[in-house]
Amino acid sequence: METMLTEEIIGKAFEELGKFLKERVTQSPIHRMAYSRDWSPRESDAANLPDIVVIPRTMGEMVRITEIALQYGIPIVPFGGGTGMGGGTAAWKGGIMVETKGMNQVLEVDEKNFAVTVQAGITIWELNEVLAHRGLWLPHQPESKRSCTIGASIACDNDSTFGLRYGKIKDCLTNAVIVTGQAEAVRVGQRKSSFSSTGYKLLDLLIGSEGTLGIITETTLRILPLPSSRQIQGYFFRSLNESAKALERLLSAGLTIESAHINCRHRLHFYTHTYRQRFGREPKVPEWAEAILFLSFSGDEAIVNFNMEKVSQILSGEFHAQLIEEKEMVEGWWDSKHRLEFIPFKQKWPDSQRQKKFGSADVGLPIGRLDEGYHHYVEIAKKWDQEILGMTVYNESPNKATASISFAVFVDDSNTDSVNRFYQYVREMSEMAIKLEGTMSSYIGDGDRLGGFNRLEHGLSFEYMRRIKEVFDPKNIMNPGKKFESHWIRKDPNE
Amino acid sequence: MNRIEELSAYRDDIYTCNRTRCGFCREECPVYKVNRYETFSCRGKMLMARGLVEGLLSSSKEMAEVLERCLLCGYCQARCALKNMEIITAMRYHMAKEGFVDKIHMENTTKIIKEGRLFDSSALDKRDGNVTLYTGCLYRSSVKELSNILSVLEKLDIHPQVGEETCCGYIVEATGFSQEFEKIRERCMENFRHRKDEVTLTLCPTCTITLTEKFGLRVQHAVVAVNQRLREPEMSRRLKPLNLRATYHDPCHLGRMLGIIEEPREILQQLGVEIIEMEHNRYFSTCCGGGGGLTMVDDALSMEISKNRLRDAIDVGVDTIVTVCPTCETTLMRGALRLLNQIGEDIEVLSLWDLLDQSLKG
Repeated sequence: METMLTEEIIGKAFEELGKFLKERVTQSPIHRMAYSRDWSPRESDAANLPDIVVIPRTMGEMVRITEIALQYGIPIVPFGGGTGMGGGTAAWKGGIMVETKGMNQVLEVDEKNFAVTVQAGITIWELNEVLAHRGLWLPHQPESKRSCTIGASIACDNDSTFGLRYGKIKDCLTNAVIVTGQAEAVRVGQRKSSFSSTGYKLLDLLIGSEGTLGIITETTLRILPLPSSRQIQGYFFRSLNESAKALERLLSAGLTIESAHINCRHRLHFYTHTYRQRFGREPKVPEWAEAILFLSFSGDEAIVNFNMEKVSQILSGEFHAQLIEEKEMVEGWWDSKHRLEFIPFKQKWPDSQRQKKFGSADVGLPIGRLDEGYHHYVEIAKKWDQEILGMTVYNESPNKATASISFAVFVDDSNTDSVNRFYQYVREMSEMAIKLEGTMSSYIGDGDRLGGFNRLEHGLSFEYMRRIKEVFDPKNIMNPGKKFESHWIRKDPNE
Repeated sequence: MNRIEELSAYRDDIYTCNRTRCGFCREECPVYKVNRYETFSCRGKMLMARGLVEGLLSSSKEMAEVLERCLLCGYCQARCALKNMEIITAMRYHMAKEGFVDKIHMENTTKIIKEGRLFDSSALDKRDGNVTLYTGCLYRSSVKELSNILSVLEKLDIHPQVGEETCCGYIVEATGFSQEFEKIRERCMENFRHRKDEVTLTLCPTCTITLTEKFGLRVQHAVVAVNQRLREPEMSRRLKPLNLRATYHDPCHLGRMLGIIEEPREILQQLGVEIIEMEHNRYFSTCCGGGGGLTMVDDALSMEISKNRLRDAIDVGVDTIVTVCPTCETTLMRGALRLLNQIGEDIEVLSLWDLLDQSLKG
């Protein structure tokens, strides 16, 4: 049962927190406003103000904060990069907002064992800057890496540009400390070893937990030597399925590819604004092309060149794909995905979110059903009056073609009705994904949109998840209103 | 509904930032790096702006204090196409209008209006020359440094004419006193009345940008003039190599805002300085800690930022940092002293003018 958060309760908790956090705790509406929303589609005037904001610096402080939250029955909401698209950090039930980026120290770089131990509030960008000085890197690289923290990457199970070769954060993570809803700091995982067959894999439970089990304060990650060279390429295909089949063929041939993103024609516009600005015309895309496969390769130069040559032979010889000759088109994709060498909002269309907001149904589908998924996307977007932005298929699992898909639309966030229409679109796309033997979400998470509705996907296992949640967080103080409850898609399809 | 007149022109930008939250502006914001609340970063302030626009937040002393803890360094602006700096300045106007502004800023404004300068200086001899030099009141307050600069210019056959001048008023506008700035601007323009079309040579990057953008004058920063001279073989022969290894700190107004980025580097190369670049350089250089009037309201924060900038230099393995701005020089020198006292890290802060002087003396 939820506690009524009265001013008196909040005031008492604030006083207790102030004793050890000093200036790192605030009730000021100015600071609370700065934590009032993330990147998720909501009304343009939406503001979910937390009651208190805290900036812990240590695991010990996080434990003490949780003890106080437990004592007074106040929710704890973690805040990482604030770039989530699922509303995971929206404090729509109030509570204590934990600004995790105060915990941003690199605790150990163990070069011999290719392991780094960090406080979980460090951003991926900041960590990679530290590692680069030693010729190392963390290959988990979401597009939000400038802002996104390690803890948020774990908790949100977000995407990675280099997923095809290195997987996502779970493939790098070997150990973590989580402060649970019982105010205990629990170490989970296998220290610096990459695997363990002892006990239950509690480390895996943290992936995508969205702060509902606790706050991750410390992690150990497997890191890698920086590759010495990198090249990018793009190919036109006749269909989405064909491009996925071709990717599987390349991998089965033994070739090493770092990134593989498949875009529909619409989505290509997303990456070609710079091109249009420079050349004053649309890039040359053959009329027959329905899919564009972008690839990146890294490693020693000779091996990269060999890989690219073989890729070219297989794709043109066996699949009649056409190499994109205009390098600027491919560069546009790479600037957007990896280098982040663009200025937000400079593009008039489509990156600009001045009038409408980017929104996405992020379903996962079996690899052979891309064309089917695309047709449903077009129909469902039309039904809910959503302007199509395009589809990208991310391959996020090492050395196999997989389909983590962004079915993007422009959301009119000027009023509640239009935002609700977007979430109806998400709902129907999610149902479609289940019918096609896939999943509702592959990189955004449940957030405050799919919770409860996701029972449709999980069936009885949803109840086991609930019980697991109770073990970690018996009083339901850890990010309530997420994963098991939705702010947007409220109706339980089984009821 | 837009409740705040000063923000009416920026409504779209404010909402665009609010609905996006990309955070490109945040992590390297020098103030946010020290004060870890999002509110101190640009995107946090954009939510604050929306709070003001919608009446969710009211103007207050606390809000003014947050806004005063901004360097107006433009890092956020370099990372984003929205009008971030204009919005922050507009909020500062609003705070000043509502009476929520630090006393020191009011005192400074009064002083500039009354005395025509912010920094006290000893009387400077007027001199004749073939190009007008606007020294700026900070350089004018440092007789030794100014005489070094004049000596360098003379040795390179640039003959500056120095006369009466009054403060450009940048700090007055930056701290929210827009009406008072107009008065200061008009008075300062008086000295340019008869030479509006001539090119004026400037020394201070902040004055340079104010004279260019707010006064509409034809202005050339002296570094550009010196660099042009040193391209002439006869001039460059006058230089004696210094054989120094150093990093170069781009002043925000000179580099990011005026685009004078390669000129100081070319001069350093001519002086025989091996430049080791810091992680954040050129357009994406980070502030010394002295911008936007911060030193006056929160010197401790300013010094933390200064030390962070110096640590950037230490991180690339140099013990000398060169810059060419009176605010950066002073702030970094003070930060360097603190680093030395607190943790024993020794880093020397040098002015490009001093290096030129040294080289020209042979």
